[in-house]
Amino acid sequence: MSSAFKMPRTQRISSRSDLYPRLVAMQKLIDAQHFAVCRLGGAGAAGKARLTMELDNFGPTSAADGKAFLDAYGDVLIDHMDKSMLPLLWNGVDEGSTAETPDLTPFTVRLRPKLLPCAGVAFPVRLGAVGNGYVSFMANYVDLASDLIVELHGRSCQIMMDLLALDEKRSPAAEALSDREIACLQLAGDGRISEEIAERLRLSVHTVNAYLGSATIKLDSVNRIQAIAKAIRLGYII
Amino acid sequence: MLQVNSGSMEAPAATTTISRDQLLRHLASVSGSPDLHSSLHALAQYVGASHYLLARCDVLQENGLDFVISSDWPFYLVKRLASESMATYARTSEVEKCLQLFQPGFSLLPDDLALPDRISRQYCSMTFNIGRTRLSLMLLFREGFAPSPERLRDAGLLAGYCVSFSHYAEGRSERDFELTDRELECLFWIAEGKTSDEIAVILGISRNTINNYITSVMRKTATKTRSEAIAFAVRNNLV
Repeated sequence: MSSAFKMPRTQRISSRSDLYPRLVAMQKLIDAQHFAVCRLGGAGAAGKARLTMELDNFGPTSAADGKAFLDAYGDVLIDHMDKSMLPLLWNGVDEGSTAETPDLTPFTVRLRPKLLPCAGVAFPVRLGAVGNGYVSFMANYVDLASDLIVELHGRSCQIMMDLLALDEKRSPAAEALSDREIACLQLAGDGRISEEIAERLRLSVHTVNAYLGSATIKLDSVNRIQAIAKAIRLGYII
Repeated sequence: MLQVNSGSMEAPAATTTISRDQLLRHLASVSGSPDLHSSLHALAQYVGASHYLLARCDVLQENGLDFVISSDWPFYLVKRLASESMATYARTSEVEKCLQLFQPGFSLLPDDLALPDRISRQYCSMTFNIGRTRLSLMLLFREGFAPSPERLRDAGLLAGYCVSFSHYAEGRSERDFELTDRELECLFWIAEGKTSDEIAVILGISRNTINNYITSVMRKTATKTRSEAIAFAVRNNLV
């Protein structure tokens, strides 16, 4: 079966600041006042996941505004990420501070209103094991036609992927792993202890441990177990 | 003679693709129904696809057809699809998959498969995630038809909306393995390279309790070493 090809992605960005113009453009599309990008980190399914603000344009009150947003909706956002990719909308404290969608209502979720001074919308982006989060826009009033929602959500996915790509670029493996190192990691991940790996690969136990040790260093890990986890995520072993 | 309905064999007559407005109106009108077929069929029409198939990637390696959530692909093609897509799927790392959300990819169906009339051998697939479950939308097209990238991305996104709405992609991982929250927490910290002593400090419980959790995890997941348990957890998206 011939190998798949993917449609070419838009040009790679070189730093986080490249994302700001795109986020501002998205914000202007819906006449919003601010944008905020937050990402999920922390224990996978253990309920200790946390959202962290990554980028925003709240201005001088940035820290306080970001905290207010996460305090108000953080838990719901984390919970939502586990089961749905529908956009979330909320109304602000004032009567006129609302987020409306005339035609895509069944496909949006309403958050508790009147928790924040302004209304807004949050687009969930779930990439997979890593890089998940929300791109949100805050406004005094926002009216989101369906094609705006689809357009912004699509662009939000691109933003989060570019953020992840930046992270990956910043920490590549120091050198490539050798075949032996990969073989030892794979067998360790399959449940073999060093003696078994040594027998299988016809090496001494010391050599096997040396390979696992050098792989651990190359993968910037503290022990072989962390190295195995990283190796699977990065695709060195399966 | 046994009659089997096996999905349409013929390419549909030249489809007039629908506009985004028409699509959205249709999706809104059928959103209450538990049946995804109507929505996905409309999405397929929107991008000009002749057939669609929505699959769960986490079930691909099992035998059988459980990986299919909804489809109108000819049945005999579906049966071959699992092994074909599994090969492509296994070739990319998790990080690579994360960087391909809604990116349309094109693959060829095997040469030895006879295709329905005027259907292209090249099919398009896009993945997206609902919670912990990765799904793939695979589309067949008429020969010579080039789908628009914008419409494809829209369709992927809206497919995600429809699935979110219908709760089709209930996570299976945690339920299948029955790991408790504490056990998952331990797994997370072990994957970060922490020792039992360190985890005991982090979680504020005794080292023996930590070791008990880990033993329990290894029993439940039928793994023999911590390395294997972590590998298992990463492979199954538990950490």
